[in-house]
Amino acid sequence: MLHSFPSSLHTHRVSLFMAASKPQRLFQRTDVQSSPKRARTMATATTTTTESAAMRDSFAKYAQYLNDLNEKRERVVKASRDVTMNSKKVIFQVRRMSKYNKLEVLEKAEKDLAAVRDQHISRLVRELQGTDFWKLRRAYSPGIQEYVEAATFCSFCTSGTLLKLDEINNTLLPLSDSSLRPLQINILDYLLGLADLTGELMRLAIGRISDGEIQFAEKICRFVRDIYRELTLVVPHMDDSSDMKIKMDVMLQSVMKIENACFSVHVRGSEYTGLLGSDDPNSFLVGVPDIEL
Amino acid sequence: MAGVDGSLSAAPPSPTQSLEKQFDVFKAQLEESGTLRERIRHVVSEIESTTRVMYASLLLVHQSRPTPELLEKAKSQIDVLKGKYNQLAEILGEHPGQYYRYHGDWRSETQTVVSLLTLMHWLETGSLLEHNDAQEKLGLNGPEFSLDIEDYLVGVCFMSNELPRYVVNQVTAGDYDCSRKVLKFLTDLHAAFRMLNLRNDFLRKKFDGMKYDLRKVEEVYYDVKIRGLSSNGESVGDQGIEG
Repeated sequence: MLHSFPSSLHTHRVSLFMAASKPQRLFQRTDVQSSPKRARTMATATTTTTESAAMRDSFAKYAQYLNDLNEKRERVVKASRDVTMNSKKVIFQVRRMSKYNKLEVLEKAEKDLAAVRDQHISRLVRELQGTDFWKLRRAYSPGIQEYVEAATFCSFCTSGTLLKLDEINNTLLPLSDSSLRPLQINILDYLLGLADLTGELMRLAIGRISDGEIQFAEKICRFVRDIYRELTLVVPHMDDSSDMKIKMDVMLQSVMKIENACFSVHVRGSEYTGLLGSDDPNSFLVGVPDIEL
Repeated sequence: MAGVDGSLSAAPPSPTQSLEKQFDVFKAQLEESGTLRERIRHVVSEIESTTRVMYASLLLVHQSRPTPELLEKAKSQIDVLKGKYNQLAEILGEHPGQYYRYHGDWRSETQTVVSLLTLMHWLETGSLLEHNDAQEKLGLNGPEFSLDIEDYLVGVCFMSNELPRYVVNQVTAGDYDCSRKVLKFLTDLHAAFRMLNLRNDFLRKKFDGMKYDLRKVEEVYYDVKIRGLSSNGESVGDQGIEG
């Protein structure tokens, strides 16, 4: 309320006053040197010096608080950035999957994911105790979202189902000992990460189609549609849904891209796989159905 | 497309069901936090209307009404505020650790509350109301609900915004010593704020604005002093500002 005053108002008042002050000058001059007043102001001058020292003392405390908070935030941001970077690497690893190396690729991805937990998310556990979990959410949220994306992506490729929030949170339990409250990813970050997952799945589906794994692509298509449908019900209830609304639009685009790709394959059949198969030399030689060769 | 739809219905039901179940839980939890937020907002809107009443009565200082009377009136609202913050603390007490999840819902109102409290305190004592004391006044000392220090500091900046107008009006009404007092206080406050390492955020912007308040008050002080209107001797006034 106080700050809503336009500053021009103040300047206006100042100039008004300056114009008005001149006539007053003469008759106010009379009591300029009255001694009791001087004594009083001297007294207030000394009390205000101790007051300014008190003010400095209390501000030293605030400064300490702000310094600690900023340092903590900085550590959280750094950890979050490491989580993001290494989660991205997991996603890249999963992308390298084809029907021939599926097992080994996913095994390595799971191992890398565990390393992200042990090396980087563990750093967040210590920092985000108590109210800091929500206070610093903006600092760590990007990293956690990326981790959720990587974990759910990995898990979908392994099991074909959605990795639930409870399951992710259970894998985070070993990171904290008895003195620390365990870090539990909140619903909002989980949903935001899930929204990004569909983009990854779209890429995967297109890749599988060009690899000739039509069944897998259709499975992805069903999965992504389910997620999109479920999310439409949940998103309006989210705390700050503006971010999520944009992600929902992008997600719909991804869903439609997968649907269109599945449609093309369905309508044009195997003639299509040969054309797209040239993307990957191995799949062109080995993965393409016999009719084409 | 029909073929793809057909395969959807042929999909094994169990994964879809468990998917639905998880999202149902999410929806319930998010709805619950939405209800909580509505309860918070309800209390906060009452806080806001109380601060409006306080601010309106405090605005009379610019019309040179007798300060003690006017402070009494504004002070009577503090207990109302205390009650409201007590309600907020109770609501948040049911959800430990989530203060900052909903912080945005009362942040700006609380900053206004702080600016009013510090202004009242300054009018009364000429000194700055400390964070602890502000917290005390609002009855906030529970573990789950306290006054955020950054909110307090932003509130103090808002309070400083009010001072140039106050000085102008007080001097116009003949209280020439006021400009020296305010200048001393603002100079100290500005110096104290410079001890903080601020990030490039809202508080920093508010603090940057404080120098304009300081400049305006300096101008008024200059005008008063150069015309010899200041009631005390020059040397004392100078000491007061530098010290």
